[in-house]
Amino acid sequence: MTAPTTHAVDAWRVKLFCHAIGETDPVFHDAAAARRAGHRACPVPPTFLKALESEHQSGAALMKLLDVPMTGVLHAEQRFEFESPVHVGDTVEISRTVAEIFDKRGGAMTFIVVDSHFRVAGQAVASARQTIVVRNSMPAAA
Amino acid sequence: MTDARCPATLELSLGPITAVDLALYAAASGDLNPLHLDAEVARAAGFERPIAHGMRTMACAGRLFTSRFGATALRALDTRFVGTAKLGDSLLLRATLTAAGDSTADYALSVQTSDGVSVATGSARVALTADRA
Repeated sequence: MTAPTTHAVDAWRVKLFCHAIGETDPVFHDAAAARRAGHRACPVPPTFLKALESEHQSGAALMKLLDVPMTGVLHAEQRFEFESPVHVGDTVEISRTVAEIFDKRGGAMTFIVVDSHFRVAGQAVASARQTIVVRNSMPAAA
Repeated sequence: MTDARCPATLELSLGPITAVDLALYAAASGDLNPLHLDAEVARAAGFERPIAHGMRTMACAGRLFTSRFGATALRALDTRFVGTAKLGDSLLLRATLTAAGDSTADYALSVQTSDGVSVATGSARVALTADRA
């Protein structure tokens, strides 16, 4: 397991993320709108946790750790389970565990399964499972 | 299946993915893999065009549910990236109700390009009770 690191949920980062995914509901990026809707602050879009996770461990860092070229991998599956909402202003503690590594198609592809754990104030708020596929038979660069 | 609290289907149609869309998502998400940004790198890896971030597609799937059920209604979201969306593709996201309980509903998810290529399949569970603060 990676050593846990903590990450502040920054309003500007969340606003940029909303812009990037076409999320226009002001509840996600306007504190007053969020309060009017009954939230204590802006909740983050559900998959923002993956963006925050990249602060803990980027895809590039994970691939370097596993000695796999960045352009030879694809994201095969992603799952989130949400226990309670994360808001702008929260500090999220993140750690990751490599759950499983296995080959398919006679070693042409390697699957790497990584679990992420998200906690706020000592409480688990969400978990995620990412499956990465390494294309060992990737075409050689032209 | 009909239930007043949860529609049988939800749909979200998204226009062509632009280079700016991919650059913005890279910056916002921290995923700087050049497969998404650089046509030459994508070609060398066997793709005719830069491929869209799977997580960008999944984020749009999140919108499909939060826009209907509330910002904090998602309990689980699972996406299998069965194909690749590429620069220039338009996407149709569709969720189909598979189960409705007392407090939650389950949907099956599919994402296709306008050419009919399957990009992602998956599932979601949403809370039907009042939005969590």
